Amino acid sequence: MIGVELRKMLRSRRTWVTILLINALPTLVGVLLAVTDLGPRPGSGPAFLSAVLSDGTLFPLAAVAIVLPLFLPTAVAVVAGEAIAGEAQAGTLRYVLARPVGRTRLLVAKLVSVVVFVILAVLVVALSAYVLGSFLLGDQPVSASVSGTTLTSGQIAWRTALALGYAVLSMLGVAAIALFLSTIVESPLAAAMGALAVLIGSSLLLTLDAANSLSPFLPTRYWLSFIDLFRDPILWRNVVRGTGLQLAYVAVFLGAAWAHFTTKDITD
Amino acid sequence: MTSLHRWLIVALTTALAIGTPLTLRALPASDSTSTPAERLDQLRASVNEPYSGYVESLGTLQLPVADELNELGPLFGERTRMRVWWNDPTLWRVDRLTATGEEDLIRDGNATTQWEYEGTKITHTREPAVRLPRLSDLLPPELARYLLSDVDAADVSALSSDRIAGRSALGLRVTPSDARSSVERVDVWIDEASGIPLRLSLFAAGSSNPALTSTFLDFAPGASSPEVFDFRHPRGSTVERPQVVDVADAANRFAPFRPPPTVADLPRSPARDLRGVAVYGDGLTQVLVIPLWDDIAAPLRNQLLDTQTVVQLTQGPALSVGPLGILLTRFLRSDGGWLIAGTVTAETLDQVAIDLRGARITPPQLSNS
Repeated sequence: MIGVELRKMLRSRRTWVTILLINALPTLVGVLLAVTDLGPRPGSGPAFLSAVLSDGTLFPLAAVAIVLPLFLPTAVAVVAGEAIAGEAQAGTLRYVLARPVGRTRLLVAKLVSVVVFVILAVLVVALSAYVLGSFLLGDQPVSASVSGTTLTSGQIAWRTALALGYAVLSMLGVAAIALFLSTIVESPLAAAMGALAVLIGSSLLLTLDAANSLSPFLPTRYWLSFIDLFRDPILWRNVVRGTGLQLAYVAVFLGAAWAHFTTKDITD
Repeated sequence: MTSLHRWLIVALTTALAIGTPLTLRALPASDSTSTPAERLDQLRASVNEPYSGYVESLGTLQLPVADELNELGPLFGERTRMRVWWNDPTLWRVDRLTATGEEDLIRDGNATTQWEYEGTKITHTREPAVRLPRLSDLLPPELARYLLSDVDAADVSALSSDRIAGRSALGLRVTPSDARSSVERVDVWIDEASGIPLRLSLFAAGSSNPALTSTFLDFAPGASSPEVFDFRHPRGSTVERPQVVDVADAANRFAPFRPPPTVADLPRSPARDLRGVAVYGDGLTQVLVIPLWDDIAAPLRNQLLDTQTVVQLTQGPALSVGPLGILLTRFLRSDGGWLIAGTVTAETLDQVAIDLRGARITPPQLSNS
C-alpha cells in the first residue's frame, strides 16, 4: 500500500512542479544576493542569510529558513489535504478502498507519502541551494557556530543533517492536521485551507504576550529552532520540545483521522 | 472496536499530550516555614554561587530613543531569551538568543568580550567603574543583587512557594517604605536549595502588572566547565577595542564635573572610581546621574519633549516609564545637561536636579583607567 502511494506521488507531475515552486524563492534570493552583494541587516532576515555572503556553503540552511515559515507548510497542507479528499472528489475513494487493504493502512500510507514529499522538497531545496551558494556566493568558509566557536567540517555536516531532519519533522504536525481535515471534508482545497488557517492562527498567537501560556502547544512554536543546533554548546531545549510537539500533533490528529475515517460511510 | 472506543482513544491521547507538561509544571512546591528574614539572608548568601540555565525576561518599559542609549530600549521593553553560565562575578557568559543568531557577553577577569554573530563582530572592553545596564543585568540573580542589596528586613514579607524551572522556590516580597521610591514592590522567588533567585518581578507604584519580569525556565546550580568561557576569534571577524564602554563610562572618566556627596538627602555611593557620574541611594530608591555632552543631550531632550506623557518639572522635562523616572536638565551655557534616572518619584528627581547645581566643575582631564 505504501509503495503504491509512493509511486503515485513520485509519478505525479504536480509533485515536482510544487517542489520546483518551493525552490524558486530561495533560488531568487540567492541570485539577488549574489548580484547585489547586499545582505540583510542584522536581525532582519532569515537565519544564516547574513552569513552566506561570506560562506556560500551555509546557503542550504538559509534556504530552509526561507521556505519553512510559509512555502513548505503551504505545499504540505495542499498535498496532505489532497490525500483522502482528493480521492473522494475524483470519485476514486470507493475503488481505492475496494482493494484488500484496511483504511488504517491507507491513512498511514498517505502520511508516509506526504513525509516522503517533504523529505524530497527539503533535499531539493538544500542541494540546489548548496550548488548555488558554492558557485555564486561567498567562498570564505566561516566554519563558526552561531556562538563564534570554530566547527570542523564534520561537525557542520552533522549539524546540517540534523537541521534538515528537524525541518522535515516540523512539517509532520501540519501534515497530520491536513490529513485529518481531508477525511472530514470532500474538497481538498477546504482541507488545505483549514490546515493553513490553523498555522496562521498559531503564528498570530505567538506574537501576543497575552497568549504566552498557549505558545508551548502551538504547532509553529518551535519550527525555526533548528538554528539552536548551530549554537555552542547545542541548545537542545527547544529542539526536543519541538520534536515532542510534532509527534503529539501526529498522535492526536492521525488518531482523529483514523477514528473518523475507519467508520465513515464512503459514497464517493 | 466501535467508533466510540476509537474516539475515546483519541481523547485519551489528547489528554495525555496536553496534560503531561501541565502536570509536571503543577507539581507541588515546598511548604517551607522559613521566615522572610531567613529567606533574605539565604538570597544574600547566594551572591557567589555558580549556576547555569535558560532565562526569559519580559520588559514593558518604552524608553525614549537616543543614539547613545539605543541598546536600553530592547532590554527593558521587549522579551529577551538568554542562556547563562555563571561561575563567579568575574567569570561568566550570557548569550542573547534570537531567531537569526545570537549576541554573547563573556566576562573573564577585568575584561569583557562581546560577540555579535550577524555582524561577525567582536568587541573587547575592560570592566568600567560605571556603565549603562546590559544583557547580564537582566538575569534574576543580578536584578536581585542591584535591587535588593540594602533592603531593610522590615520591608520584606513571605510569598507562597512556587515551582520554577522544575525546582522548588521560596517567595519573598519587598515593599519599600521610603516615600521617595517609585517602586510598588518586588516579588522574588529563590531556589530553596541554593538561595539563588529564580524569578523576579518589578512593579511600578500603582500598577498591578509587572514592569519587568525575569525567570529561569531551565536552571542548574553548580559551576560550568572552563571550555564554555573559552572564546577565540573566528575567521573573518572584525575586532574592536573601544576606549569607552558607553556614555556613562565616558562621562565618568572625562566629564569636568564632580557631583555633590548628597542629593535629595540620598548619599552618594562610596564606590571607588566614580568621578563625573554618581549613584545615589540604594536598593529600591536609587538614582544615577550622568552629565551629557551637547550632541547627546540635545536629541534626547527633543525625544523627551516629543513624548506625550512628558512632564515639565522646574529643572527640565521628565518622564515616568513604569518605576523608572527620567529627567534631563540643561546646563547654563550649553545644550548639555544632567541625565537623572532612577526608581524615584518626580519630586525627588526635581530635588536631585536642584541639588546637582552644587556640582563642582573640574578642569578636563584624560584618564587611562
